[in-house]
Amino acid sequence: MSGEDPGPLIRLFGLTGGRARPQGEAFDLVAIVTTAAEAGDPTDLIPEHRAVLALCRRPTPVADVAAHLRLPLNITRVILGDLRGEGLVTIDRPRPAAQTIDERIYREVLHGLRSL
Amino acid sequence: MDYAASEPGTTTVASALAIKILIAGGFGVGKTTLVGTISEIRPLHTEELLSDRGIGVDDTSGVESKTTTTVALDFGRITIREGLWLYLFGTPGQDRFWFMWDELALGALGAVVLADTRRLQDCFPAVDYFEQRGIPFVVAVNCFDGARRYDPAKVRRALGLNENIPIVLCDVRQRASVRDVLTTLVTYAVKGLGAGVSG
Repeated sequence: MSGEDPGPLIRLFGLTGGRARPQGEAFDLVAIVTTAAEAGDPTDLIPEHRAVLALCRRPTPVADVAAHLRLPLNITRVILGDLRGEGLVTIDRPRPAAQTIDERIYREVLHGLRSL
Repeated sequence: MDYAASEPGTTTVASALAIKILIAGGFGVGKTTLVGTISEIRPLHTEELLSDRGIGVDDTSGVESKTTTTVALDFGRITIREGLWLYLFGTPGQDRFWFMWDELALGALGAVVLADTRRLQDCFPAVDYFEQRGIPFVVAVNCFDGARRYDPAKVRRALGLNENIPIVLCDVRQRASVRDVLTTLVTYAVKGLGAGVSG
């Protein structure tokens, strides 16, 4: 594949140091990421990291972070694992649907779908 | 995947909730179209990079282990309200990416198995997968132009499905039709949770 532009791959490699898996505890594609209150606005971070901190002041699912960064999900997760390691974001642990989806949530979802 | 260990920065209290729904079925059955029809964001079609370290040994059979491989993943979003979302993930069609299904399926509320009556056998693997793991699913028969209209009872027999598993006819290009499929799935899945939900 010598004719292919290696640019994007090199950029992704730079973002992750070539790692395919995030450090620390595994987290789901829809786990909620929240910027830590004490994160402030560190100026010494790379643009992608700063973008995550700005976005996740509002709790945001991992998949949406990827959409916002326009990066593949697994690359995004490596970045999020690094930020968590630095204490700059928290990532919630998904709970089983039986615990999270009660009558009220169910009604809200049905109502939301029907009004589409 | 293991969520058991705890580490600083991982909290169990969620103020926001994202509900995951899988869209499965054979290649070319309309998974991407379905996600695109209902998603409020342009569906994200990402090429996931998989280094050879990221793939289990069993999964690399037939794949050149030295190269970086990619798998296409589509997902879309429906916002119910601030802090409550549905995410639709189209599952990779190729068999060698089964390991990704395990991750996608973890914690999912349920799945839509899209079926094309001209190639009904294409959805057998997805039906088997969700049955074996006890993940609630509905079968949505995509009524392509020119496809013979099937009686849902025939589809049920052909797939060997239990009486309780919903089968719906749909057109994945029609928003109202996709909405009905998702409503059916959510209702069916939530009933199965036994979370004290009625109706």
